Amino acid sequence: MRTSKLSLAVLALVVIGASAAQAQTNNATITATAHVQTPINVLGAQALDFQNVFPGVIKVVPATDLAFAGRFDVTGQVSAPVTLSFTLPATLSFGANTMPIDSYTGIHADNGSQTGGTAFNPVTGASPSLSATGGLFVWIGARVVPATNQAQGTYTASVTMTVVY
Amino acid sequence: MKLLSWLVIGGALLSAALAPVLGAQGKPLTVTGVRGLTFGAVFPGVPLAVTRTDPANSGQFDIKGPNQSQVLLTFILPLTMTGPAGAQMPLAFGSSDAGYSQSQAIGSQVGFDPKQPFTATLSNNGRGSVFVGGTANPAPNQRAGAYTAVLTLTVTVLP
Repeated sequence: MRTSKLSLAVLALVVIGASAAQAQTNNATITATAHVQTPINVLGAQALDFQNVFPGVIKVVPATDLAFAGRFDVTGQVSAPVTLSFTLPATLSFGANTMPIDSYTGIHADNGSQTGGTAFNPVTGASPSLSATGGLFVWIGARVVPATNQAQGTYTASVTMTVVY
Repeated sequence: MKLLSWLVIGGALLSAALAPVLGAQGKPLTVTGVRGLTFGAVFPGVPLAVTRTDPANSGQFDIKGPNQSQVLLTFILPLTMTGPAGAQMPLAFGSSDAGYSQSQAIGSQVGFDPKQPFTATLSNNGRGSVFVGGTANPAPNQRAGAYTAVLTLTVTVLP
């Protein structure tokens, strides 16, 4: 009689074991990897300076003018392609007075002396690549058209360049 | 009668020992991480998506188990990848970023949401593969460097 009870208990264990076998579980892992490149940094390095402008006399600062063209310095991931876009003012302002800017020019190069530089239209932007050292230099020139009765004063406006990968 | 009891005890112990690894048809369930989910070069501020059908960069798990058995696939997915000095980069998984293929071919997947458990059927020879894609979302000022995260797939054979 004792033996029979033991057998029944063991049979119950067998049934439990069989049930457990049907609920088997296993798992595995994989790794997700990414290499984030160097963030872009943009510096407004030099203002676009028209210097003295006389009423009725158009003044041009070409993008090739290393002394007075506006310049942005860009750093980022070596050799990475980037897109340049600009917010360009249509006028310079002095209080309530304005003075039109009717055109812009641009040059980008991988060095600060414009050697091997490429001309572009700032209105449509450009898509250069950063240099082998991760640098890019961008110059902006423009033309102002003062009226013959342009009020005397110091006129200013902001030029914004946006750089994205 | 005593001998019979001992035989039954032995059988029970054997059954219990094999339970975690053998299915109803006697085939062990195995899950293998075959290929990592690779985003490669990621630029700050530019989201990068890897599709589950990308043969080189999607993640892949292979499953072996009882022939034609139904299995429940459950992912543990990271919300971020960890980079230099503990920097975090968000990682997102869309509603069709995982796929199951009974034939283990990347070109013949049934898409599913990796954030939800999914029931699949192993092939006639007890095989299947799971592929997974995702999207890395680096911030514009994301710190440069290598980022990693772990994805876990748990497979349960359904009774």
